[in-house]
Amino acid sequence: MNSTRKRALRWLALSTMLAALLALATPASAIERNFAGSAQLDYMFVPTARSAQASPNTFDGFTMEFAGKLAVDFSDKISANMKVCYGCHGFEADMMYFDLRVADELNFRVGRFSPSFGAFNLRHDPANHRLSDKPLPYDMGRMLRMREWKLGVLPSPFPDNGLEVNGTKAIGESVALDYAAYVVSGFKAAANPTDIDFSLSHSAQAYYVDDNSRPTFGGRASLTVKLGDTSDLTLGASTMYGTYDPAHDLSYLIVGGDATLRFDKLNIRAEYLGRRTEFATNQPNIFKYALATSNGDFSMKHGAYFEVEEGLTPELDLVGRVDGLFRVGNVEASSELNRRSSVFRYTLGTAYAIERGLRIKLSTELWEFSDPDTLTGRKIELSMHAAVAGSF
Amino acid sequence: MIRSRSRTAAPIAAFAAAALVAIVALFASACQRGEGLDPSKLPENIRADYELFANRCSKCHSLARPLTANITDDEQWVLYVNRMRRQPGSGISRTDQDGILRFLKYYAADLRRQQAEKNGAPAPQAVPVLTPPPPTAAPPPSTPEAGAP
Repeated sequence: MNSTRKRALRWLALSTMLAALLALATPASAIERNFAGSAQLDYMFVPTARSAQASPNTFDGFTMEFAGKLAVDFSDKISANMKVCYGCHGFEADMMYFDLRVADELNFRVGRFSPSFGAFNLRHDPANHRLSDKPLPYDMGRMLRMREWKLGVLPSPFPDNGLEVNGTKAIGESVALDYAAYVVSGFKAAANPTDIDFSLSHSAQAYYVDDNSRPTFGGRASLTVKLGDTSDLTLGASTMYGTYDPAHDLSYLIVGGDATLRFDKLNIRAEYLGRRTEFATNQPNIFKYALATSNGDFSMKHGAYFEVEEGLTPELDLVGRVDGLFRVGNVEASSELNRRSSVFRYTLGTAYAIERGLRIKLSTELWEFSDPDTLTGRKIELSMHAAVAGSF
Repeated sequence: MIRSRSRTAAPIAAFAAAALVAIVALFASACQRGEGLDPSKLPENIRADYELFANRCSKCHSLARPLTANITDDEQWVLYVNRMRRQPGSGISRTDQDGILRFLKYYAADLRRQQAEKNGAPAPQAVPVLTPPPPTAAPPPSTPEAGAP
């Protein structure tokens, strides 16, 4: 298929999705519809970046993302969600699913959705988190040296096609148990990969079809305990397992644990993610280090963040965050990473609601890399964000 | 040269953080409107429900989402809040849901009243105004029937 035809098909698919959104948005009496949207324009300034190579390794400049979402309640038992978003990856069908609810404890979700994993993904929309960028374990492109690091552990959102069975069980008035199990297509990569290709996984060029005909499985369980009228604590654990290469040979396993404490206007969040990814070893010369005879065919990527968010006034939020990534394993010869590489980031930011639905976000980030930049020798970098985020 | 550049990053970060706080303080003095409603301008019997709504619903998204959704149909709010209650980790219990819906139904009634006024039609039912009254006007009523439309 030539590129012109592919482009035409992409536009046709996008037009069809928009037409479907508009058609469903037409009022009718029995079905309840709600249209929502969000947008964020962010400017990232990296005064320490080497200007010649800042891009594409760093999005040192304006980035724009926006999304439109339609939620349709056919009844209390059946609802549908459609969301189309635009970001650095281009247009993406973020949600296209139906919920078929038997009871609170048993719901079937079918279609395209981000499977239940971790605590952050529920807030991944830029209108729903107070900083311009996501925590590093979930980073999808705003981190410095993103090409070397190949983004976070699990770039969010991670929409995929499949089925999820989920539910919530209230245990008295103070405790709720949430659970989910799912089967989805899984992530993708080209033949003989050294890591998951998240851009390819998001690409609609292959019509969102699985590349190896084998699904990925996963699940999540979380417990929310009410500690008082305005405070609660959520503890959760998640996992995901599948293969990502076309030959169905290379597996990945992602595990996560999270804790969220809400105490009136204070939110404290901590989350850990770890991913074990097998890579192809049939081309030993592409690696920086000699392949080990045992356990030399996988890498481990750990990521975590600790975040404190305080609402100082109804308009003003203050956020402090420490997050980082730690990678262990062989790398490609061209990579600037080493066998063991780490990055820590320290962020201080604010969000100010200038109007209902409109926020200004400002933040400063100090980066500490274990590996020096090959050109400047720099291990410490600085970045600053100024963004306007709106929702309706 | 490279080392000295690295050393300057921390002071620059401190300066940037201070500048950031100053800019926000400037905005704070210039603008006095947040995402939610001013509880003091709500009828007394709806304030606790509003606080519950503000606390629970801001856990995952901004309050602007529901407040600008322009939903005037009570039944739609029931379905909407039901869907939100089932979100993992929402922390919304069934008892919470009742309080949140009391506020949202009140809010929907006020929207209906505002729309009716805009269209020149008589208000469908009496509800207290959410917008601040002029200085000489009487405070908004807080009768039980007005608070629970």
